[in-house]
Order: sequence, then C-alpha cells, then structure tokens
Amino acid sequence: MIATLLIGAMLWAIVAAGCMCIGSTGAIGWPTDAFVRGYRMEVVLLASLIGAALGAAGVVYQAILRNPLADPYLLGASSGASLLALLWYVGSLATLAAPVQAAGQQVFAFVGALASVALVLAISSRRGRIEPVTLILVGVIVNAFNGSIYLLIFFRHPEIVSRGGVFTFLVGGIQTNLTREQEWAAAWCFAVGWLVLAYLAGQFNVAPLGDSEAESLGVRINRLRWGGIVIASVMTASVVAISGPIGFVGLICPHVARLVVGYDQRRLLPAATVLAAILLAVADAVARLLAQQSLFQSQLPVGVLTGLLGGPFFLVLLWRARRTAGGAS
Amino acid sequence: MSLLEARDLRFAYGHVPILRGVSLHVDAGQVVALLGPNGAGKSTLIRVLLGQLRASGQVLWDGRDVQSWSRRELARRVAYLPQSPVFEPDQLVSDVLRTGRAPYWGAFGLESDRDIAVVQDVSHQLNLESLLLRPVGELSGGQRQRVFIGRCLVQEPAALLLDEPNTFLDLRHQAELMGILRDLAQRQGMAILMASHDLNLSASSADRMVLLHEGSAVSDGLPDQVLDPTVLARVYGVEMRRIDPPEGGHPIVYPIVGQDLSGTVTTT
Repeated sequence: MIATLLIGAMLWAIVAAGCMCIGSTGAIGWPTDAFVRGYRMEVVLLASLIGAALGAAGVVYQAILRNPLADPYLLGASSGASLLALLWYVGSLATLAAPVQAAGQQVFAFVGALASVALVLAISSRRGRIEPVTLILVGVIVNAFNGSIYLLIFFRHPEIVSRGGVFTFLVGGIQTNLTREQEWAAAWCFAVGWLVLAYLAGQFNVAPLGDSEAESLGVRINRLRWGGIVIASVMTASVVAISGPIGFVGLICPHVARLVVGYDQRRLLPAATVLAAILLAVADAVARLLAQQSLFQSQLPVGVLTGLLGGPFFLVLLWRARRTAGGAS
Repeated sequence: MSLLEARDLRFAYGHVPILRGVSLHVDAGQVVALLGPNGAGKSTLIRVLLGQLRASGQVLWDGRDVQSWSRRELARRVAYLPQSPVFEPDQLVSDVLRTGRAPYWGAFGLESDRDIAVVQDVSHQLNLESLLLRPVGELSGGQRQRVFIGRCLVQEPAALLLDEPNTFLDLRHQAELMGILRDLAQRQGMAILMASHDLNLSASSADRMVLLHEGSAVSDGLPDQVLDPTVLARVYGVEMRRIDPPEGGHPIVYPIVGQDLSGTVTTT
C-alpha cells in the first residue's frame, strides 16, 4: 500500500506540475505571475481532490456492492445534490429567502447528496442488514425519482433556463467561486475518510466474497458495509457539493487501476485514488486548452469531457463482461 | 473436551423449523461426515456452528460459547469452505490464498513475514506452486477446489467445516480431496466436519458419520452403523441396498433406481 501510494504521489506531482503550465488564456508554461500561479494551483488541486475522492469512493462502492458497474453516484449522491442545488437556485431567485441564500448552494448540495443516500439506506435496510442487490435497486429508483422532481421544478420555473443555471447542476465542473472554507471542508472530508478506508482496506479484500465466507474470514460483513458506504458517501457528497456530478471518474478509475495493480484492495485503493486525481486534473487542463482554441463559447465543464471519455469505456466494459459470461455458459 | 461440541441446537426460519435439537461433537484428528437429504438442515447447521446464525442450544469451540468469540478470533481457529465459493475469474491464485490471512492482517491490511511464509508453506503442501500466478478462472474444477482448500489452510485453523466439497469434482479429484482431508486430520490433528451427499465416499474417508433428517440427528456413529439401509430408506425416501465387501472394509450402499417407497416402478 505504501509503495503504491508513494509511486502514485510522485506520478501525480509530475502531472499536476504539467497541468499548472496550461492556462485558459492561451499562455503555456510555468506561470511566473504569483496571482496566476495561485489561481492555477487552486484549480489543479481542486480537480485532483475531486478526482481522488471519487476514485476512492468508486473502489469501495464496487467492492461492497459486489458490482463492477457500481460508481459513487449509484446510491443517489449526485441526483440528490443536483436536486437540492436546483432548489437553492430557485429559492435564491425568490427575494424573500435570505437564509436560503446565505446557506450557499454547496451546503444545499452536500445535504441533498447525504439525504438521498440516507433515504436509500433507510429503504433498503431490514433490521439493520443491508444487501447489495436491494441497495442497487433502491438506488436506481431514488436516482430516477430525484431526476423526475428535478424536471418538475424545472418546468415549474422556466425562468431558470434564461439564467443559464440548469447545466451547472447536471454536468459537473470545477467551480471557481468557492470560499476557502468550502475547499478546506471538502479536503478534510476526503483526508479523514480516505484514512479510515485505508485502515479498513484489508477487510475490503474480503467484502466481494459471499457473506458466509467473509464472516468466516473474520469480517463482520454487515458492519463493514455500513461503514464503507457511509464513509464513501460522505466523501462523495463533499466533492459533489463543490463540483456537481462529474461522471464516470469513479467508475473508470477503479477498473483501470485494477488492470495495473490487480484485485488486492490494499493496492487498488491508493492506485485508483491517484489515477482519478490525475485523470481529472488532466481533463480539466484539456478543457482549458480547448477553451484557448475558442472552439466553444466558454470553457467546457470538465464533466462533459469525462462523460465523453467514460461512455465508450463503459461500453467496452459491458462488452467484456458479456464476453466472459458467454464464455462461461 | 471436544474441539467442537454442539448441544440441542434448534433453529427456525420464521415459523419453519430447520433444526430440531441437534447435538454433535467433533474431536481433533477426526473426520466427521454430515449426511442427509436436501433440506435436512446440513448447511444451516454449519452456519450455526460458525456462529453466523443464532440458534437456541449451545455451540462450544474449545469449551467456549461461539457467540463469545470475536469473528477474527474464530477465523484463526475455524475455516469454512462453502459449496460454491465466490471468486473473481481474473484474480490470481496467490491473491486468493493470501486472502486466507485476512484474520491475521493488521491495520491497513499490513502483512507480517509470517503471513507470507504460511502462504508459501501451504502452496507447497497442496502442490499449488506452479499455479500461483494464474487467474483462478483458468483453473479446472479440481485445481480450483485445491486453491480454496489452500485458502482455508492459510488460516491455520484447528478445525475445517466443508459444505459439500465434492459437488463439482470428478472421481479422481474427489478421491484426491478425501486424501487431503484424511491427511490433515491424521498428520496435523485437524478436526474436519464435511457435509456430503455421497454416502460411500464419505464412508471411505470419515471416522464418524452423522445422519440428519428433518432437522434431527437420527444416527451418529461409525460408517458401518450409520449406513443402515432401513434407516437410509426412511431418511432419503428411496429404497436402499447394502453390500458388505467380502474382503472387508466399509459397506457400500446404493439406491434402487426407478423405484420409490410406494413401490411404483417407472420405466424408461
């Protein structure tokens, strides 16, 4: 684990330094101006933080839900965040909602993400036990339900469109209007959560096995499921709140990392974390590059890029899974 | 004191009783076969013995109630092989074996030198060395079962509970597996409890047999005593014949095909 982490951190540092050299104004090269340097560093660090949290959460979700197609948004974190962020937006349009305005969209999104996951957990647990299949099913339903309410509000308030606010909550991007407190809150959630997940990494190795097998290997599987899902969800919520739902990072990175370091979660967790941090930092840099080419009116949200990358990858994954299943029958 | 002692176990799923007062014991160095038709309660009994299902009555490992053991503690003492272990086809054999050390890993899943040494010893003992770097999905059924037995042994258990380990094995690998189990009991003094559908194979390798019927142990003893065709016919619901080989050794029992107890003969 430590070796993987060290190698990963070195790779990330190199890539991050590279990303620092790409500006959104067309300037390429290490920023000499202190203000520009600070700004770019903030963006690169934020992208890395968001990626890292999603990558780590993805590993844990896949292990606990025993499903290779699981990602950190499967249990409702993203749709809940989007929904409440939109509600905040609608609320802030109405002039009377000063407390709502003050709470901030990020806080709303964070609460929305957690409330959504909590709802999924509450519906799927039976006498405190949670089963992967039920969780996934309820997660899909709650996601769909959140989506419907989102559209309902959207159609009730057509003025949102003219303000251009809809996309922000549907496609994730690195937000540039965050306060330092918000950034630090997300960073702390990630750091503490990641350490706990790493502490449990040995047990996550046993989680994908059958319940009886896991128990007979010394793991209280139900307790591990609760712990893993709650921690991974808080991590996800904390970054979704500051970025919106950036798709596919949490799905792809665990898989690519698995190709490199294998199935051992003790290596997979750090590997996927680093990989996701790198991927998102690069994707964001690419978005800045594209902005220079003035192909688009404004800088693309990074979620569009990861989605473009993730869609085809998802298909390859499905195709491979089908081939294996076909071979076995 | 027996390594495993179970007294008057009763368990029900809702209102459906599965175990109706089962008692049994397994001593170190013994292979005990657990027999009985589908639904007799074999798998449930094993999960109760592992402390995963709470039944009334008592399960004692080393004289201590199973519920007072922590999961990790028990995992270092008792290993369990389910009927169809879950595995990831791409996972390497060496990684599967290492998982057996999970009850010994420290925080962050850190491995000790001993963890590594035990995996090496077991792969040598079970002749798995040439398979270590191959994906589990590529192995034959027999090889795979050996890997899973290996994962159990890596736990360095004093007892081994197996749920129908022969189900997917051909004759040669069944014989090989029974050889391994006998060897573990005799040389390492391991206590082995094995659920099985194969009466004759069990008879050839078990020191004792326990026959379950509708949640009760209807007989418990040497293969010669338990393989009573009258009792077996009642338990399995099919007429049985028994042959005692003239040269000695354990008896052979077999069902009379195409005929059930009501006497109707089916023709093909």
